[in-house]
Amino acid sequence: MRDFHYLEPRTVSEATAMLADHGEEACVFAGGTALILALRQRMMAPGVLVSLGQLEEMRAIRFDPKEGLLIGAMARHNDIARSKIVRQHYPVVAEMAGGLANPQVRNQATIGGNLCYADPSTDPPACLLALGAELTIKGQHGARRIPMDEFNVDYFTVAMEPGEILTQIRLPPPDQEVTTFYRRHLRTPAEHRPVANLALAVRNRGGAFEDVRLIVGAATPAPQLLDGVQDYLSGRSVTAEVAAEAADRAAEEMFPISDGRGDEGFRRQVVRALTRRLVAEAANLDWKETE
Amino acid sequence: MMAKNRISLEINGEAVEADVRPNRLLSDFLRDDLALTGTKRGCETGVCGACSVLVDGDVVKSCLSLAIQMNGCSLTTVEGLACDGAPSPLQKSFMECGGLQCGYCTPGFLMAASDLLARTSRPDVATIRKNLSGNLCRCTGYQGIVDAILDASEKMHGT
Repeated sequence: MRDFHYLEPRTVSEATAMLADHGEEACVFAGGTALILALRQRMMAPGVLVSLGQLEEMRAIRFDPKEGLLIGAMARHNDIARSKIVRQHYPVVAEMAGGLANPQVRNQATIGGNLCYADPSTDPPACLLALGAELTIKGQHGARRIPMDEFNVDYFTVAMEPGEILTQIRLPPPDQEVTTFYRRHLRTPAEHRPVANLALAVRNRGGAFEDVRLIVGAATPAPQLLDGVQDYLSGRSVTAEVAAEAADRAAEEMFPISDGRGDEGFRRQVVRALTRRLVAEAANLDWKETE
Repeated sequence: MMAKNRISLEINGEAVEADVRPNRLLSDFLRDDLALTGTKRGCETGVCGACSVLVDGDVVKSCLSLAIQMNGCSLTTVEGLACDGAPSPLQKSFMECGGLQCGYCTPGFLMAASDLLARTSRPDVATIRKNLSGNLCRCTGYQGIVDAILDASEKMHGT
């Protein structure tokens, strides 16, 4: 690992000022679990790390009935998994955060670092997209909010400008009629990074699906909304056959990654299985009997 | 060469002040600067968990941490588990239940298990296995480790 200066701003505005001062030489440091690996492999060699570790204001998790759930970007995955507020209002998020990577990483890595690094082989983006998350991003000249839909642009690429900091993730107040499901696939239980995951939010009106949001993650360069499958499922009464058809369409519609952890065909197959199971589960069908 | 930064922290109950370069890994700081060699370097890529230590009670991987991040924190390493030089109940259970063979991964497993038992007095097998998922052992097949943690939880917290 090359040498660098380590700065610890005490406020967000101090942090953005430091980033502006050091320009391209600077890199934001959150939990460090991904960045330290990249630094050690010399994939990156910033001269200055601006650590957000002392920004207590960015660690808070709170719920506001109008705004919804507000998660500080420096909340660690275990902070989210163990938060009573998250478990009460968004159990699917608590479960996702509590299963991510491994216990040690959940105690170190932050949700904001995870999102900004944008490694596709991870859990939060697809799940947060299904829930309609909105992100607050601060720069030297003020704050802006963008929907999660616009955040993940590509492989390791997000819609942030140099010098900006992701400060907060907002999930709108839960709609009691909408249920969100999240499922991922690991090649082996010892592997900590999913080869594919799927999030489904759906309003189940007496067996018929409405307001369907279906997102595939980890198997694609960035989380992908499966519009075609969403349209197919909308207004439909879901049977085992419908779940199977939706699964075939999902495998067809996705744009998979093909790499050493799984080639394109394998990832399509995994997404097909995940889709069939998740859609069946959302319709209260036993997916094990739908073959 | 970058200037060193002064950090103050507590390790196994003792106050420590040290000057570290910002790029010093916590695992290297513990082993090479403080001679606390109970913490092992295994994969050094965050996979094996041999380097696990407790930071403010939470188990973390010291190869994925910078020493400089620990300023103001309270750390426990495997050297801090023994009580007056005698093995802790958890360590005794590892010995009695076959929770180790070569022993290289053991400090990491002990720290992960310590975190778990501090939060959950009587974990079931599924919970134990989930909480060991950040640690690899190539000798035991894990069963002895799971047995040891069950045994320790019983001895520490009753039936």
